Amino acid sequence: MAGKSGRTIAHVPEKSVKKTLLCWESMLVVLFIFINIFGQGISPNYQASNVLREMPRYLAEMFLMLPMAYLLVLGEIDISVGATVCLSATMACMVCNTGAPFIVVILTALAVGTACGLLNGIILTKFTELPPMIVTLGTQIMFRGIAEITLGSGGSVSLQNTEGFRAISGRVGGLIPYVFFVLLIFAVIFTVVLAKTTFGRSMYAIGTNRQAAYYSGVPVQKYRLIVYTVMGTMAGLCALFLTAYLYGANTTTGNGFEMDAIAMAVFGGIASTGGKGRLIGGIISGFVIICLRVALGLINMNPQLILIILGILLILAVMLPNVSAQIGQMRKKAMKK
Amino acid sequence: MSEYILELKGITKIFPGVKALNNVQFQLKKGEVHALMGENGAGKSTFIKVITGVHKAEEGEMFLNGEKVDFKGPKDAQAAGIAAVYQHPTSYPDLSVAENIFMGHEIKKNGIMQWKQMNEEADKLLAQLDADFKSTAEMGTLSVAQQQMVEIAKALSTNARIIILDEPTAALTNNESEKLYRIVDKLREEEVSIIFISHRFEDMYRLATRVTVFRDSQYIGTYDVDGITNADLIKAMVGREIKDLFPKPEVQIGAELLKIEGLSRTGFYKGVSFSVHAGEIVGLTGLVGAGRTEVVESVCGITRAKEGKVFLEGKEIHVKKPADAMNLGIILLPEDRQRTGLILNWGLGRNVTLPTMGKYARMGFTDDKKERGVAKDLLESVDTKAVTIFDPASSLSGGNQQKVVVAKALGQKMKVVIMDEPTKGVDVGAKAEIYQIMGDLAKQGYGIILISSEMPEILGMSDRVVVMCNGKVTGELKRGEATQEKILELAMEKSKREEEGR
Repeated sequence: MAGKSGRTIAHVPEKSVKKTLLCWESMLVVLFIFINIFGQGISPNYQASNVLREMPRYLAEMFLMLPMAYLLVLGEIDISVGATVCLSATMACMVCNTGAPFIVVILTALAVGTACGLLNGIILTKFTELPPMIVTLGTQIMFRGIAEITLGSGGSVSLQNTEGFRAISGRVGGLIPYVFFVLLIFAVIFTVVLAKTTFGRSMYAIGTNRQAAYYSGVPVQKYRLIVYTVMGTMAGLCALFLTAYLYGANTTTGNGFEMDAIAMAVFGGIASTGGKGRLIGGIISGFVIICLRVALGLINMNPQLILIILGILLILAVMLPNVSAQIGQMRKKAMKK
Repeated sequence: MSEYILELKGITKIFPGVKALNNVQFQLKKGEVHALMGENGAGKSTFIKVITGVHKAEEGEMFLNGEKVDFKGPKDAQAAGIAAVYQHPTSYPDLSVAENIFMGHEIKKNGIMQWKQMNEEADKLLAQLDADFKSTAEMGTLSVAQQQMVEIAKALSTNARIIILDEPTAALTNNESEKLYRIVDKLREEEVSIIFISHRFEDMYRLATRVTVFRDSQYIGTYDVDGITNADLIKAMVGREIKDLFPKPEVQIGAELLKIEGLSRTGFYKGVSFSVHAGEIVGLTGLVGAGRTEVVESVCGITRAKEGKVFLEGKEIHVKKPADAMNLGIILLPEDRQRTGLILNWGLGRNVTLPTMGKYARMGFTDDKKERGVAKDLLESVDTKAVTIFDPASSLSGGNQQKVVVAKALGQKMKVVIMDEPTKGVDVGAKAEIYQIMGDLAKQGYGIILISSEMPEILGMSDRVVVMCNGKVTGELKRGEATQEKILELAMEKSKREEEGR
């Protein structure tokens, strides 16, 4: 049936080069280039080889950023992941020290992480009224508790056999760490799924208006459960690569990782209120933060001072859209007058 | 002294990009009930906000008792004795009625709250309004009608001389509306002046002495209610004549599509049975709270029924979630467009294809181009007033939002379409268009369940009327035999009987 008034509605998207250049992701690319120039300016040691050597610890955190971005898009959060990393790493080290084959170690890390994520997911999908922040705060304390009991009085475990972990911490051409490539593959998968699939679109729908999504037939609870579980699995993966760098685990392993992951995603333009942002932004912002940390680390800046700088940057980043909107409005008003 | 307690002249209010009010005027006499009518988007709400000091007009003057006033904010308007009561009361559900009434102007002695005094004062105000609840009741436990009463009491507690009621009856049943009418009558006797905004003609005829019409941000005219006909008023509001408000087509009614048998959910409804045939529009009516929405929500898998069976084309179905219902061909277009019907800040196209994107996708990857084409066709087929499919849903008027909700249902082959209050908050022009779409769907062989509290709509569109009361079906009336009186009788039957039994 055709419209009675014969009114037509345009359906071809406008492509605007100006808009693409002015989007937040483009800003981040500029910032990334700027940070690299800045790094070389402040330290003669800021070279590709050094940066790549310093990177693996931070790259491991990026594994958390990917599913964390999904959770933020869903309008949710998981602050237990740092503890999940700790528990996974601990268990992986313990299993490794029993002399088990390395594949079993890998599976242990992933299984423990998945189990933790699944637990969060089950609690939150069975009792849908509970706030994710509080539930995952509870499981965070719990997971760390289990890890500490497992670690015993010493509070740490060291790898007795580092062979397997050394294999995964290798470098292509002695330069680029394997973890970089693994991360790249996951980053592409996560980005494409969010941007191009019905699952991704559903996540935006849930994050923007969970009720409307449910009424439209989106399996809200199933998708939430999946994302929380994947969050756990990725925490297991993070734990593996982190262990390959640290050769052990202790009670502080993974401390604050959840906040780093959230910061990377939010800095990348993924709103914590849900339904907004693209993963590409989170990935670029992750590299911006990593390069800044490496650069400041190379000039031996006090780590606490680095944290303060990162904190300020994050607040500026979330303030920027507000400020620019206000400037836009002021400009419009001025033009009218 | 001026004849008018409130007079506005040449008011112009500009929002970025639009003139929300263009040189409008308004005069309110002392002790008068003055209706303000117009389609959605005509500028009524903006106008009210100018009066209450929420918005500041770019141009124009406002006189209170003949003196020029210039409100800097809502506080000034309140101090001048102007109060507004909105359709959805903006209250604090966890606080008591008295706390709500005195919020912002508490009675204090040396900085200490005088709760006893406030409770007494509140009870006095409530008694004045014939309220059936106490000042200590928790706000959240009250019905919408009772909450509105609290809002009115709040207005009175600030000694308001001008009270603005913004679509107060939209969420009320007929009984509750009648009670509100009586309150308004009482206020009028006390020489309180009232501005009344409503889409319902009954409200206007029952209450107002004069009516002012806005259209497209402009002042159209002020008329005596006694001297204007329905048709003239509609013409003034819409700018064109609407010949047939209920374009119900003659449709050959086909086979039975949906059959509900003895459906029960503890505390909500009990033993509900009725059926819908192809090409049939079944009006499901009753007072608000009769359990109509709850029944169809269970049919569509939003909640689960405890007992009973649902059949689709003779086969029993077990729906656990909305997606199941949709796969079977049953879709619910929910009452609350803003909360459950649409994702307001998404574009129209995305909204329309949200339930069906899986159909166009390949291996889980969305086909954006195809979706855009489908969305365009569907939105055009229901004649949505929009420029592009990328316009956010929030930019449309209520009536057009409802059309988008309908378009969502049309993207897939449906058998039964359930519309819950499809014309709530929709202006008269768009209402006719929605009825037209409903008729078209019936012609195409859809079975339609129309839930509505609006009597003319139920009578005008339904082939059969199912009436519910207190969670039970109290009667079924055919198109020919249904009258307003019969429906009302059935809708209130149970409650009456129960009262007698007590």
